[in-house]
Amino acid sequence: MYHLIIDDKEIEVQKGTTVLNAARLAGVEIPTLCDHPALEPYGGCRLCLVEIEGARTLQPACTLPASNNMVIHTQTKKVTDARKFVLSMLFSERNHFCPYCQVSGGDCELQNAAYDEEMTHWPLQPNWNHFEVDASHPYFILDHNRCILCRRCVRACAELVGNYTLGMEERGSKTMLTADLGVPLGSSSCVSCGVCVQICPTGALIDRWSAYRGHETDVQKTDTICVGCSLGCGIDVITRNNSLVRIDGDWDAEINGGVLCEVGRFLPMNDSRQKLVTPLIRRDGSLKAATWDEAMTAITDKLHPLLNNNRGGIAAIISTRLPIESLHLFKQIFADNFGSKMVTSTEEGYYTVGFDGAGKQIEQQNGLNAIGESDLIMTIGVDLSNDHQVAGFFVKRSIEKGTRVIPIHTEKTSMDSLTPYDTLIQKGSELNFVQALNAKLNGEPYEEKLSKSNVPVSKLEEIANLLKQAENALIIFGSEFSAKNKPEVVQAIIQLAKNNKINFINFKGKANSYAAANLGLDSKFVVNNDQVAYLTLGDEEPSQLLLQRVENAAFTIVHASYHSAVTAMADVVLPVTNWLEQDGHYISADGIVQKALVALQPSVDVRSNQDILEDLATRLQIEIDNQWLQSILQSTASAEVQPA
Amino acid sequence: MSKPKVATDWMAGCAGCHMSLLDMDERILQVLDLVDLRSSPITDLKEPDINGVDVGILEGGINNTANEHQAKLMRSRCKYLVALGDCAVFGGVPAMRNFFTLEETLRRAYIETESTDSEGFIPTDPELAVPTNVRAVHEVVPVDLHVPGCPPDADVIFYVLAELAQGRIPDLKGDKLHWH
Repeated sequence: MYHLIIDDKEIEVQKGTTVLNAARLAGVEIPTLCDHPALEPYGGCRLCLVEIEGARTLQPACTLPASNNMVIHTQTKKVTDARKFVLSMLFSERNHFCPYCQVSGGDCELQNAAYDEEMTHWPLQPNWNHFEVDASHPYFILDHNRCILCRRCVRACAELVGNYTLGMEERGSKTMLTADLGVPLGSSSCVSCGVCVQICPTGALIDRWSAYRGHETDVQKTDTICVGCSLGCGIDVITRNNSLVRIDGDWDAEINGGVLCEVGRFLPMNDSRQKLVTPLIRRDGSLKAATWDEAMTAITDKLHPLLNNNRGGIAAIISTRLPIESLHLFKQIFADNFGSKMVTSTEEGYYTVGFDGAGKQIEQQNGLNAIGESDLIMTIGVDLSNDHQVAGFFVKRSIEKGTRVIPIHTEKTSMDSLTPYDTLIQKGSELNFVQALNAKLNGEPYEEKLSKSNVPVSKLEEIANLLKQAENALIIFGSEFSAKNKPEVVQAIIQLAKNNKINFINFKGKANSYAAANLGLDSKFVVNNDQVAYLTLGDEEPSQLLLQRVENAAFTIVHASYHSAVTAMADVVLPVTNWLEQDGHYISADGIVQKALVALQPSVDVRSNQDILEDLATRLQIEIDNQWLQSILQSTASAEVQPA
Repeated sequence: MSKPKVATDWMAGCAGCHMSLLDMDERILQVLDLVDLRSSPITDLKEPDINGVDVGILEGGINNTANEHQAKLMRSRCKYLVALGDCAVFGGVPAMRNFFTLEETLRRAYIETESTDSEGFIPTDPELAVPTNVRAVHEVVPVDLHVPGCPPDADVIFYVLAELAQGRIPDLKGDKLHWH
C-alpha cells in the first residue's frame, strides 16, 4: 500500500492506482474530460492537471501512477489557473456557442467543467474556422464544430467495440476525427453500436432521435435489460412523458458494461409498426373492435369444449421475447391442462436443440466475462459480426490484447479479416470438422473426417496446436448447423470442450429461448386444419412461415402488440403490451436470471400477456401457479440457472 | 450617498436581455430605489450622461462601426462596464455569421433571402455603419463583469444590479452561472 496526501487528506492506495483514482477514493474531485471509467486513461485533455510536491511541472492525474508518500494539491492557484487555461484553449479551438447546442444546460461535460471553474467568459475568442457536419449516418450526427478531440469515441470504438472505425488524422489544430480513411460515417465500417454517441462529452456526436428531446433532468431513466437477443445486456431506457427518447447501455451492467449493438440501441427507436389498441373479433368476415369481456368470452367459449378432451384440438405457440412468467402460465394452460401436444415457442427449439442435459454435467459453461479472460477463442455455428453482436465486440476487442481468435464459418464474415486464423469449412461439415479436431487432439486418425470439411491438414494442425498451447481456451458456439445432425454437432462440441478442458459459451436465439427450452417449449410447430391456433406473439414480428402454418387453422387467436399479416387473418386479436410496457424475468444465454422493468405505460385498452393468461385460466377454471423459478430449476433440459 | 447612476445600451443582440431585465417584474421598483437609471434603449434618454455614470451595461455583440462607437462611448462614460448576455460576452448567435465571409453574409441577407421579392441590393449609403465581424465586447473595450446567459435570468440580472448598487462585486457561480 502507498501512503498519499491529497489536499491534506491522507489515504492508502494499492500500488498502480492513478492519482485521479486515488483522489476519487479520498473524496477529492478532480475535473476530467477525456477520462472515462470504461476506458483506459489517456491524458489527452490536460484538465486533470495537479500539483505534485517535488515535481517540476503540473502532472495529469489520470495517467500518473501514485507513488509512496506523494503529496498532491488539486486546488492551488497554479492548478486552477491551468484548468481555466486548458478550457480557454478548448473553447477557442472550434464553435462552442452554447445557446444552439443540444447538450447545453447540464448535459455537456465541457460546459459543466467551465461552470465548475466559474468561468464567465472566454479569455480567448474562437478563430472562426469552419468545420463540417457529417450527417451521413442513419442514426447519429457528427458535428466537428463541437468536437474537443478528447478521443473518447475513438477509444470506445477500439477498446470497447474492437471496431477501429474512428480515428484521428493530422496534427495540432488541424487534428480531425475521421471514420476509416476519411470517408463519411454513413459509408464507413461503422457497425452502428452507438457507444461513441453515448460516451461523447460534448454535442459533437448526437443521436438523431433523442436530440433536443430533453435534458437528463427532464427525462426518466429505467434501469432494465434488453430483450433483443439471449445476452441480456443491461440498458437504461430514457423516457419522457411516457414516450421513448433513447436507449443507453448501462455502464454498471455486469454482462455488457455499457456496450450495446444496433439491435439494442437503435432498432427499437425505428419501430414503425402500427400498435393494436383495442381487442378485435372477426364478425361477418371482418375484424371489428370489441370489449375485453366480449373478446375473452369468445375465446373461452371456443376453448372450453376442448378442455380435457385430449384430442389435441389446440396448437399453441408463444414468443421467446416474453418473460418467463408468461411462458410458464402458457405452458401450464395449454400443455398441462389442455393436454395439447403442440405447445411450443416461436423458435421451436432451433437454438437449444442438442443442448439437452449437457449443461448440468459439466462446469465449463461460461458467462460473457470469459471472453476477456481467454487467450484463445474459437467460434463455430455463429457469426458474431451479425448475431449477439455485443459478444462479437468483446471477441474483437480481445484480439488487440493478444487473444487468438479462430472463427470457423461456412461463409466469409467481417470477423475473418481481423484474425489470421479464420477457417472456412464446407457447409454441413461441422460435425466432421469438430470430430476431426477432437481426434487430432486425442492423437487419433482424423484425415478421413477432415477431408469432408474441405479444411487442409495444415490448417487443422495449426488450430490443434493453438488449442494445445492455450492456457485458457474458449469455444463460442451457436446453432447455425445443418438441421439433420445439429444435436450431434452440439454434443461433439461439448465433448471437444470436455476432453480438452476448454470453456464454452453457447448463444441461444432470443431473450428467453433458454427459458422456453427449460419449460419444454421447443418442439416444431405444426397446425392441423381443424385446430384452434393460439398465438401469443407479444411484440414479435411473425415470420412468413408462421403465417403459412396458421393460415388454415379453424380458428386463430392472437396476442399481439402490433398489426401484422397474422393479426389480419386472426379471428380474435388481443392487444398486448410490448417489451417496454411489461415486466418479468428472462434467463440469459449463460443462465443468469434477470428482471426486466416497466419503462412505459401501455395505452388504456392494452393488457399484458400474463394478465390475459391469468384471466383465461380463471374463466376456464384452470388451476395455475406462479412458481416459474421452481419449474425452471427442476427442468432437466439444460445448464445451470443462477437465480437473481 | 446619492444613488449610483446606471446606463444601458444594446448592440448586435435581440433585445432579449433587456426583456429579461423587465422580466424581474415588481422587483424593478426595488432596483429603481437603489439606482438612478439614466439612459437605456427602453427609456427616453438614449446615451449615457456626458458627465459619466457609475455602471454601464451593454447587451449584444459588436458587428459594425456604429456598435464600436456605442461600446467605446459607454466605456468612456462609465466606471464599471457589464457585458450582459451571451452576445456581449461571447458574440452569441449573431457570431454564427463569422463562419462565413462578410460578402457571403451580406449577399445572403440582402439578395438571396426567400423574402427578398425584387432583385435586392446590398446597401452602400455612406451614412450607414460599416459591417464588421461580430465581436464580443471585451474584444473591443475592456469589460469589468461578464454576465453570460441567453438571456441571463431575471434573477441573475436582479442579483447583479442589486450587488453593484450596494457597492459589491457580484460573484457569478452555481445557479447564477449559465451560458445558454
